[in-house]
Amino acid sequence: MTGLGALPGVLALGVSGLALVAGALALVATRRPALALGVLLDLLLAAGLLRLATEPTWTSIATAAAVVALRRLIGAGLRAGGRVLADPSPPARR
Amino acid sequence: MEELLAEVVGVLVTVVEACGAVVILVGAVWAFARFVWVGVRGHGSRAFVPVRLTLGRFLALGLEFQLAGDVLRTAVAPSFRELGQLAAVAAIRTALNYFLSKEIAEERRQVAEEAREATPDPAAPESPGRTV
Repeated sequence: MTGLGALPGVLALGVSGLALVAGALALVATRRPALALGVLLDLLLAAGLLRLATEPTWTSIATAAAVVALRRLIGAGLRAGGRVLADPSPPARR
Repeated sequence: MEELLAEVVGVLVTVVEACGAVVILVGAVWAFARFVWVGVRGHGSRAFVPVRLTLGRFLALGLEFQLAGDVLRTAVAPSFRELGQLAAVAAIRTALNYFLSKEIAEERRQVAEEAREATPDPAAPESPGRTV
């Protein structure tokens, strides 16, 4: 579709590797899986967008969209869980 | 004439998409370096948020370039099938951009909230407030 050739695909592979390293490092440094997952998914999204720049196939588009949807779902779930855990007030009285 | 236009637009699309790819790549590499720096220095989990925020901005900018490429491509899409495919790609990129901007706004709000909690309002205890 574009004249960029296979270069963005190779770069996307490299960014995927960086995502794994950064996610592992964030997990080791902070011991917070939610944050490490966010870091991993951020960089994986960058890799997906780079892959879109080369030959936007349905698979690559679906992958990038799935990463965004997954990130929002996990983020919303973790925030909801965090609010429940952090809220000291007892549940509604009857 | 049409062939010339198609050729020119093809070159422009390549240039614009290359710009988008460069922006995304630079953002990813910069964010990786910052993540490593923050992780190694042990600044804590809060230090990761501004880096993620900046990476999100880079990704949104790269997406804007890719969308610009899609808009250019509509000028020369020859068949209805190609145009439909292009519309689907552009729609998905627009959705990605929308969700990304929402995430950026949310993280920015969290950073502002944390900053407000960290620095108490100096005016609050001093001035009881005017009665209107």
